[in-house]
Amino acid sequence: MSLLSISVKPNRFTAWLLSWFLFAAGISLYFYTAQKRHQENPDDRVVPTLAQLGAGLYQAAMNPDADEEPASDAAGQSALERFRSGMLWKDTVASARRFFYGLALLFPAVLLGLHMGLFPYFGTFFLRFILFFDKIIALSVLPILFIAFGIDELSKVMLIVIGVTPTIILDTFNLTKSVPPEQIVKGFTLGARDFDVAYRVVLKQIWPRVLNSIRLNLKPLMLFLFAGEMIASTDGLAYRIALLRRHMGMNIIIPYVLWVALLLFLVDLTMRLLNKRLHPWFREA
Amino acid sequence: MVPGSITERPSAPAMLDAEPAADLLIRLENIHVSYELADGSRKKVLDGIDLDIRRGEFVSVIGRTGCGKSTLLRLVLGAETPTEGRVLADGREVVRPDRDRGYVPQRYSLFPDKSVIDNITFGPEVEQFSLLTRFTPGFYGRRREFRAEAMRQLRRMGLHESDANKYPDQLSGGMQQRVAIAQALVMKPKILLMDEAFSALDPGTRAGMQKLIRQVWRETQTTVLFVTHNIAEAIHLGTRIVVLAKDGAESSGSKVALDLTVPSDLDEEFAKIAGRVEAAAGHSRLDEDE
Repeated sequence: MSLLSISVKPNRFTAWLLSWFLFAAGISLYFYTAQKRHQENPDDRVVPTLAQLGAGLYQAAMNPDADEEPASDAAGQSALERFRSGMLWKDTVASARRFFYGLALLFPAVLLGLHMGLFPYFGTFFLRFILFFDKIIALSVLPILFIAFGIDELSKVMLIVIGVTPTIILDTFNLTKSVPPEQIVKGFTLGARDFDVAYRVVLKQIWPRVLNSIRLNLKPLMLFLFAGEMIASTDGLAYRIALLRRHMGMNIIIPYVLWVALLLFLVDLTMRLLNKRLHPWFREA
Repeated sequence: MVPGSITERPSAPAMLDAEPAADLLIRLENIHVSYELADGSRKKVLDGIDLDIRRGEFVSVIGRTGCGKSTLLRLVLGAETPTEGRVLADGREVVRPDRDRGYVPQRYSLFPDKSVIDNITFGPEVEQFSLLTRFTPGFYGRRREFRAEAMRQLRRMGLHESDANKYPDQLSGGMQQRVAIAQALVMKPKILLMDEAFSALDPGTRAGMQKLIRQVWRETQTTVLFVTHNIAEAIHLGTRIVVLAKDGAESSGSKVALDLTVPSDLDEEFAKIAGRVEAAAGHSRLDEDE
């Protein structure tokens, strides 16, 4: 039977091997290319070697931004203190703050979607507008946001709002609509009022799926955050990547990119595990 | 009595004859239901239904698929409004579902996110404690009482205490419906509306559920409106049978084709009634699923 047949399943070891193969191949190809390029040009900065990446990561993690004045007692600082005053930590904190502001703003979006799905007047009032709003390319309104809100935090948070909230509102709206009407009627026959049905019957049922929807939108959320930071910011992970691009600082850019991916992976994993833990009844489709 | 209907009026039970007005629980007055189709025409579902249901009756509603029996139940439930006519429950017009009318549908009868015990206590909790007051100290004392009552209902339905913390998807179809009945009964509704509640169950489980609901009805004397397409089930369970059928053309809506009281000496009369019901419904087996 062909290996590409639908009915052929790889055994445990083969599955493990296959799932890690592309990682191994990518890493091998990278270091092979780095070695080749450094043989030809020892000063190559485009594909840094492992040692250069390590040095770059150490520099980003343990040293403050070059524009900052060094602390007077820098020599006496512990490794943890040096890490916390390093640019990687400070950039991470700045981006994380904006990220969580954006994430927090998704919760009103969930409530709006829920009410639109349940209360016909709410739905009629908002749906057409949100459908239109959803079609606006968030990055195209970036100049307008900078003019309207300035180049500080608010414009970056607004970019996330415009970019991600319509999707979350519409996802929640559709999830609400997918709750069987029997469940809503049942709620009323058990003495529930409108808001009890909304929050104690419907929201509780759709909540794990809403969390999954938010998880799937973490990347767009980060994308809009990065766009804002790259264009107008004085700190943050994307600001640093954009700044180092001018100096060809690939030895720091690559660790930064991997750090962002790791952080996003951890946020996603945490949400997935929390979802599983908090909703043992939920079976993913 | 019923304009345009072909209703055969039942001889009401003797105990209800004395004070018919006081015993009247549900009244459907000249009910018409029609829906607008995509091409702008209207499809009639119910066409002039008049029906009175008295307290303590077990009314089985049967008819062919699409005859409007579930629509009739949803009208009594308040989940649907008639195009014409009105539904009265305890003298008040039904405008939406409420706690006086318990509901056991065929599917989605339990909240999937709640355990068995939480499904049963949901009604009492939500009725007495709002979203905010459920976090007050008094809530926890009352909650213990609700849970004790829920456990009593659970045992009455033939379930074990060990089932209390299971989620609906960990239960069989029959167990789910037992919990759904307990969930509805804990609210002490005036009428229990069951929409094809046993249709998805295997024959053995179905027979057990029929026995259970009959026993529950005898003990609680709760009025039951039971929609089914199974003739044997309708006759076996009901004290009264209402058959819905179209009167002639396919485009017409359903009317009450037969409305009769099932005598207590069921065994003798069973075959005779089954024959009459089949004749009135215009089909020998309706949509038997067994």
